[in-house]
Amino acid sequence: MDFNVSADPPHVVEFRKEVAAWVAEQIKGHEHLRWSASWSTREDDEEYKFRRGLAEKLGAKGWLFPLFPKKYGGAELTVDHQMVLETELFKYGLNLSHTFYTLARIVAPVLIRWGTDEQKAEFLPPITQAEICVWQVLTEPHGGSDIANCQTKAIRDGDHYVVNGQKVMVGHHLPPDFLWTLVCTNPQGKRHENLAWLHIPANLPGITIQHMNLMMGIKNAVFFDNVRVPAKYLIGGENNGWKVASTHMELEHGGDGRIAVDPLIERVVEYCRSTHIDGKPIIEDPRVRDLIAEMTIELNTLRRFNQLIYWRRFAKKPHPYGGPQQRYYQRMLRLRNGERLQAIMGADALEQNLSVHEVIDFEYAVRTGPGQLHGGGTLDTDRLIFARRLGLGRPTTEKAPETD
Amino acid sequence: MDLALTETQEEFKKVAEDFVKAEVPAHQMTQWYKNKQTYQPQLVKKAAEIGWLGMMLPEAYGGSDVSTMDCAVVFEELGRGPVPGPLFTSGILSAQMIFEACTEEQRKALLPPLCSGASIVIPAIADKAAYWGPEAVETRLSKTAGGYIMNGTKRFVFDAQAATSFLCAARSEEGKVVFLLVDAKSPGITITPHVGFFISVAEVRFDKVVVAPTNLLGSSGASWATLETALDKSLPILSAYQVGATQEVFDMTCEYTRARVVFGQPIGRFQRVQDHCVDISINLDMARWATYETIWRLESGMPARAAVHEAKAVASDGYYHGTNYAHMVWAGPGTDYGHPMMAHSVLAHTLYQYLGTPGHHKRLMMDALYPRA
Repeated sequence: MDFNVSADPPHVVEFRKEVAAWVAEQIKGHEHLRWSASWSTREDDEEYKFRRGLAEKLGAKGWLFPLFPKKYGGAELTVDHQMVLETELFKYGLNLSHTFYTLARIVAPVLIRWGTDEQKAEFLPPITQAEICVWQVLTEPHGGSDIANCQTKAIRDGDHYVVNGQKVMVGHHLPPDFLWTLVCTNPQGKRHENLAWLHIPANLPGITIQHMNLMMGIKNAVFFDNVRVPAKYLIGGENNGWKVASTHMELEHGGDGRIAVDPLIERVVEYCRSTHIDGKPIIEDPRVRDLIAEMTIELNTLRRFNQLIYWRRFAKKPHPYGGPQQRYYQRMLRLRNGERLQAIMGADALEQNLSVHEVIDFEYAVRTGPGQLHGGGTLDTDRLIFARRLGLGRPTTEKAPETD
Repeated sequence: MDLALTETQEEFKKVAEDFVKAEVPAHQMTQWYKNKQTYQPQLVKKAAEIGWLGMMLPEAYGGSDVSTMDCAVVFEELGRGPVPGPLFTSGILSAQMIFEACTEEQRKALLPPLCSGASIVIPAIADKAAYWGPEAVETRLSKTAGGYIMNGTKRFVFDAQAATSFLCAARSEEGKVVFLLVDAKSPGITITPHVGFFISVAEVRFDKVVVAPTNLLGSSGASWATLETALDKSLPILSAYQVGATQEVFDMTCEYTRARVVFGQPIGRFQRVQDHCVDISINLDMARWATYETIWRLESGMPARAAVHEAKAVASDGYYHGTNYAHMVWAGPGTDYGHPMMAHSVLAHTLYQYLGTPGHHKRLMMDALYPRA
């Protein structure tokens, strides 16, 4: 067994040197913009411009999706190359999936799985080369986790779908180029068989986007008012939306894996070393040490779960419940760590610090504990899927949907 | 990165799996635990024949010279039994301690019989239950003209009843912790099983036991630091054993949710019941991957002290909490001492504190990561 993510086989030894030098060159002058391990919800133009620029440069080399065919904007490289890119970027707190605020990490593999050749040729390159930003817009005001109960209608009218409805709590503070969404094509049809998946240009007439100021940051409501979407934007065929959704959600719900490390603990330790009570740094306090121990173990566990899923995905060894397990664990961990931060540093854990990236801002970590319990489906749906994959109370176990 | 077992490891796993099926079937195992007959000499004999005693030792000493991961794969399967007896205590911990602490002459004399099963060496380290560490060593060695006299009481000695000799920690007259071997038949030794919610543990009393100077490990009895080195290699094997045990609890509990029908449907259809299984699975996989990663660190020659403590803490926590969640699913039937759940339950509680509680190991992990001033 080998957990080393930088044990390069001979064919990537030179590649690592090339990438290391290239990344160092890009980072020069931007060292303070470390960390992109998570979705950012802050208005920070400097950070946004830097990361978007970096993504475009990575995309131009085919490095954002190194495994993809060149014709779709990839570089036709191996998983070993991909791990070189991930680990070199991670030296600066960055990673491929989250270089900038787009859902490309999910949308692109779903297009590979479900798009027609024409669609792949047209839609993929702008996504894989970071020219456009895609939002997933799935949650509806009344549906919540039950996204198959989709009320946004898309009725076929000649070469178009006419879309009417509303999605909520989606996106972030900067506008999208495309909306990646599930719609109902047949309101009278059978559940799961009356849905379609659309890749909608965000500039079509009839689309209105309104900010929502939420606990976890800025999200949006998207209104569709008689939006005429050309039929070429239908992904996966007529009434096949639920299958596309299953691939999408497996990737969203922990099935994509990651080989990065959560940076939070590093900053907590730094805080505890530099904060003195009665002349002694609080890292010497046994109570604080016990709390950091729990945080360390749980963050290590999450790192291992992520790495395991990453390996399974690319070694083509699918696992039935790795995804929901990771997701449930990750969200409960964030919640517990939020409380631990307060227990360690009191009100310092509640004060926003705009001088650091939000993934290492204590206030963000505390606030998004309860704030990120439900995005993309509640904790309870995680456990529901988990139970089905385990086959609890059922004669058969449900398989994980295909992701690649 | 490759998180799969090797072909050899898959074979080792299969051998151990077949062993558990043939030698430790659930009904038999349950009776042993119920009747507190967890020392089964025939199991030790067969394990020795396969080469599982001292299996990480070099062949020159009678071992099988396998890697830590190869060994862990076997112990994970043994944990599924859970196979009782001194396979870990004598075959791993004592074997590693003798290997680390002893002179070449002592190794050659002590290790081959340990590997063949002719001698069973049981660690008897702490005198106090409430703590694990050199501070809990109170048994005294007093110098005499020809050697030493040993006085003290070791409590909660795991597998004590299998011992042909004890690997004891004791305090010298200078107050130093030293290690020595004491024949279990020496006059003055009394072994009394502890009675309570645990298994395979006994009090071992040393009352004016005469010990020769040659019984000290190494030239001067080694030190606690030597034990720590032996534990680095041994604790992950114990963690793997607990991972296997938790896997067994998980599998049998998931199966029960399909078979058990109440309120007109299999209990696995109830979301509250499902939640308990989810919690077992998380405890299980936390322990499994912490253990594997630790072993990889050890085998790669990376610093592993913090990881060893983390894995022991997480594996003991995992087995303990996993078993408690399983009790929520099994309810009444799982509380019968004639049910495999009870064997797991008493063992999980025993191993929780064996060689240090999870809380203690978490503190040691922190000390390894962020040393105190």
